[in-house]
Amino acid sequence: MSAVTAVPTRRMPAGLARLDWLRERGMGATVLVAAISTAFGVLLISATGYIGAQLQAIPFYGSSDTLALIIGMLGMLLLAVAIYVAAIVTANTFSTIVAGRTRRIALMRLIGASARGQRAEVARQGLTVGALGALLGLIGGTVIMLASVPLLDRLTMGAPYTVVQPALLAPAVAVTLTTWAAAWAGSRRVLGVTPLQALGGSVEQTHEDVVRRPGRNIATVVLGVIGVALLVGGILLGMVVPLGVIVAFFGGLFSFTALVLAAPAVMPPLLRLTGRMFGRSATARLAAQNALRYPERSSRMAIGVVMGVALVTMFAVAAESVKVLVTASGGGAPDPAFEQMIDSFAAVMMALVAVSAVIAAVGLVNLLTIGVVQRRRELGLLRALGLTAAQVRRMVLLEAAHVTITALLFGLVLGTAYGWIGAQSLLGSVPMPPAWSAPTFIAPGVPWLTVGVVVAATAALTLLAAVVPTRLATRVAPVEALAE
Amino acid sequence: MEITTTDLGLAARVQHLTKTYGAGAAAVRALDDVTIGIRRGEFTAIMGPSGSGKSTLMHIMAGLDAPTDGRVWIGDTDITGLSDLELTILRRRRVGFVFQAFNLVPTLDAIGNILLPFDLDGRTPSAIERARIDGLVESLGLSARLRHRPHELSGGQQQRVAIARALATAPDLLFADEPTGNLDSRSSREVLALLAAASREHGQSIAMVTHDPVAAAYADRVVFLGDGRIVADKPRQTAEQISAHMLAAEVAA
Repeated sequence: MSAVTAVPTRRMPAGLARLDWLRERGMGATVLVAAISTAFGVLLISATGYIGAQLQAIPFYGSSDTLALIIGMLGMLLLAVAIYVAAIVTANTFSTIVAGRTRRIALMRLIGASARGQRAEVARQGLTVGALGALLGLIGGTVIMLASVPLLDRLTMGAPYTVVQPALLAPAVAVTLTTWAAAWAGSRRVLGVTPLQALGGSVEQTHEDVVRRPGRNIATVVLGVIGVALLVGGILLGMVVPLGVIVAFFGGLFSFTALVLAAPAVMPPLLRLTGRMFGRSATARLAAQNALRYPERSSRMAIGVVMGVALVTMFAVAAESVKVLVTASGGGAPDPAFEQMIDSFAAVMMALVAVSAVIAAVGLVNLLTIGVVQRRRELGLLRALGLTAAQVRRMVLLEAAHVTITALLFGLVLGTAYGWIGAQSLLGSVPMPPAWSAPTFIAPGVPWLTVGVVVAATAALTLLAAVVPTRLATRVAPVEALAE
Repeated sequence: MEITTTDLGLAARVQHLTKTYGAGAAAVRALDDVTIGIRRGEFTAIMGPSGSGKSTLMHIMAGLDAPTDGRVWIGDTDITGLSDLELTILRRRRVGFVFQAFNLVPTLDAIGNILLPFDLDGRTPSAIERARIDGLVESLGLSARLRHRPHELSGGQQQRVAIARALATAPDLLFADEPTGNLDSRSSREVLALLAAASREHGQSIAMVTHDPVAAAYADRVVFLGDGRIVADKPRQTAEQISAHMLAAEVAA
């Protein structure tokens, strides 16, 4: 008579009740991620289209499409990176959601639902949120562009450009489909849920071992070796011809893909190393264990942030290294106008790749939040045993710091390497005025200001990522959590 | 001068305790003017059917929940007005817990769980405490299991680790909430015998909430709760006597 009556039962129309899962934690973040990537795509397509239209309007220039083509290719590449990061985030989110739904899925299996049917349902939900996010992003991006065109026209020649066109649907469709695919990939665990798990008393499996996949390991090593070889080859070739940068580009692509594949093996030791920094107190050790509770999940999460940090750092270091290289080859400080141009280009590129970093950040916040929600009972136990609210707060913050600090350091190192290799392989062979000495070999130029901004942004992300989970965690009353 | 809990030979006591959930017409009175003391060095069982208020009583006594009205002492400390932080530290240092399930932190191994109250306190056990813990690990048969994580332990082993953790700090009072609720009968007997031995041989004060007459039969004293009130308070009983009492109460209701 006591507890049962306290639960309010709200009647809902059948149609709305079926969409109840949309309110589940994690779905909102997936919608947001899909919306950001779609809006980003819409803006990229519109912006490149707009620039193309303006170039066409310049007399004597109109016949050459090369520049427009290059800008278009660059835009596609940036969009691909953003969608890729979004896919990692979404797959992670769904695998976390599935972990939290184990009991319900087990109950469905007990009643007679098939594992495949259950998995298909999760994927369908991915399709729905993906489409919803894409629609929001499509509308948002188009509205922003419609509002910007009149402003841009004042800066340019104002050649007529139609914002609303069928091409804008492409990123929306791409994002919807990748979200669907990512939800499918993230729902693999559904197949492992047994009907028995619905029955009370079964011990909660709260950790997961890293799965060994020999085929994947071989592919990773091969890709990695090829990637590094191409990077080195690019530098060497770059001492002779500027074409070295193309070789190095593929080297970067291969080596980073290898790294993403190797993340579940590479990241946990790095995370553990970061954990050492926090000392041996109970909160630090609990946080370290939590950060590694689901090694694959944390690794993929960290790799998203690594990618964002590495890309931003890459463009900053490349720009700085180009300046160093030009100075070394020319034997004196380069033209300020040239430096200005390099800086502007780097700034635009950094702003564009920062979108991927934002998507990764959304994923991180989301992962930590769901992690805390799913650990309610454990937090209740810890509170009962004497973990103070302040200790809970420190624990959650340290947990976030594990991932962000590891990803930050790793991303900075990678970004510096890639940026330097890019600059070196592109311009190593090119003689510059007034000294015209070539080939030139330089150490990476490190733009400390940008590094400082990246570090500050990561610190802000850590605090931000910890806010919501901390509030949820400290709100857990021991009795309430233990009674579940 | 007020008479203290210690003067009364009690490890903990509550006075005129009332707990109400909800408000107005929907209000549920889980505890209704309960006054009771848990005697030092004794193994006390708190019996009652579901909804009798026994878990609520234990939660409030242990500083896990706040009463609507009345006062609570653990040792000589009046915990009624303590802040969340003070309560947390009190639980950490002076109260031991054994719950029905999910007693252990899944990411820590057995010894990590046993030492958790010390770690949370930011200190390592003293030589005396260390000797006490070693003795507990030995007598609970956990020596070979110290490096195992909870999911690698059987239900009975998990409860034994929980008992070791609860006893490690030599608490004023150990609270056990249906400690055998998830165990088979053999593991149940083991766990109950261990609790009884801790009380008999080491003078540990224990309050155990249960609805199982067999479990309650291990206790020195059995307190019966019904509808938020204490309906009987008896010395050691056999399982048959306890069952008979419960049955009589059921028929009367």
